[in-house]
Amino acid sequence: MRRITELAVILSLVLGVSVLLVLAASILLPGIEVRQLAFFYLYTTINPWFQNYTVNSPEAVTAIVWDYRGLDTLFETSVFYLALIAGLALARGLFSETPQGSFNEKTHGLTTIVKTVTRVTAPMIIAVGASIGLHGHLTPGGGFQGGATIAVIPLVFIVVYSTLFLIARGVTSNKMLVLRSIGLLGIGFTSIAAFLIGLAIGRFAYVFQNMPKPGAVVGLPADINGALISGTLWFFNLFEMIAVAAGFTIAFIILLLAGRGGSGGR
Amino acid sequence: MLDLFILIIRYIGLALITLGGFASVIAAIGFYRFKNFYLRLHPLTINTIWGCVFPLTGISLLTITLEELGAYKWFMAGASFITALIVLMLAPAGSHAIARGVHKSRTARVKPCIADLLDKDLCG
Repeated sequence: MRRITELAVILSLVLGVSVLLVLAASILLPGIEVRQLAFFYLYTTINPWFQNYTVNSPEAVTAIVWDYRGLDTLFETSVFYLALIAGLALARGLFSETPQGSFNEKTHGLTTIVKTVTRVTAPMIIAVGASIGLHGHLTPGGGFQGGATIAVIPLVFIVVYSTLFLIARGVTSNKMLVLRSIGLLGIGFTSIAAFLIGLAIGRFAYVFQNMPKPGAVVGLPADINGALISGTLWFFNLFEMIAVAAGFTIAFIILLLAGRGGSGGR
Repeated sequence: MLDLFILIIRYIGLALITLGGFASVIAAIGFYRFKNFYLRLHPLTINTIWGCVFPLTGISLLTITLEELGAYKWFMAGASFITALIVLMLAPAGSHAIARGVHKSRTARVKPCIADLLDKDLCG
């Protein structure tokens, strides 16, 4: 009886989802023509003949995230920051339980095979993360993705070498919090960079302004010596990458704290 | 002469990709048939080396010969080759760590067992 009921439930779920998909395909399927809003973004994301409205970034997603709706992203970053602060506050008593010994290559962590492979791949992961983050205005990716990729390094090192290794190398949650704050401050300063330049030279400029706009001619350079940086986008990606990498490192250190009596992996 | 060379490289690439597909099927069968955890790790590594590193190398050889891709062929070939190298390094280390961790923590028993020289209690 129970098997029949389970079978009936699964069958009805599958059939229901199929019906929904068929209905959705006939009603919600988007047409082949580009919608008006999408056309605006695609038309203005990089357009040398439309200088007063363009972002000068071939990657429309990053342009939307950090320019068209930059304020939204700033608040998202702040929410992530506050979540980490809350995590640190929640775990504040636990840090005293972290073993205070020094890292010993022979007794801590996994075997030499895994350690060697980790040592070889770590620089590659950093290179890939930096490439994803700093090319965020040119190719798919961006600061958050690059930072999340770089944050894999401390996670792997905690698992393979133990938390003591990170602490011995000076990667503590307090230092990471400082790095994260530097990243967030950088994002804040980048967001008002055009405004500050406007104040300095006595011209009108917006907060979160990137390229010159009609009525506000102050703007950041689209390229440095021919290399496209898309004004504020490159700086936003750089600082977001630092902030996210440090933030995730804090989260991993908190989540994978060596407990009392833990001997670091053995 | 050059055409023959390109043709040979292309067929080596195709052969490696075919070999990868064949090895993946074998690994899947082994994954289904083998009796305990440590034995199942064996087809897993067959899949990562034979079924992943070899076809990726084959793709990189094949794309070098494809003139239709233009300059992007070097990009694709390089990316495939680097990925193959990284998988070649990471996969054995990963399976080694998994096997060692499971055996050390005594999570999975060796069953059916002929001999377990590291830990006799886990046998059987």
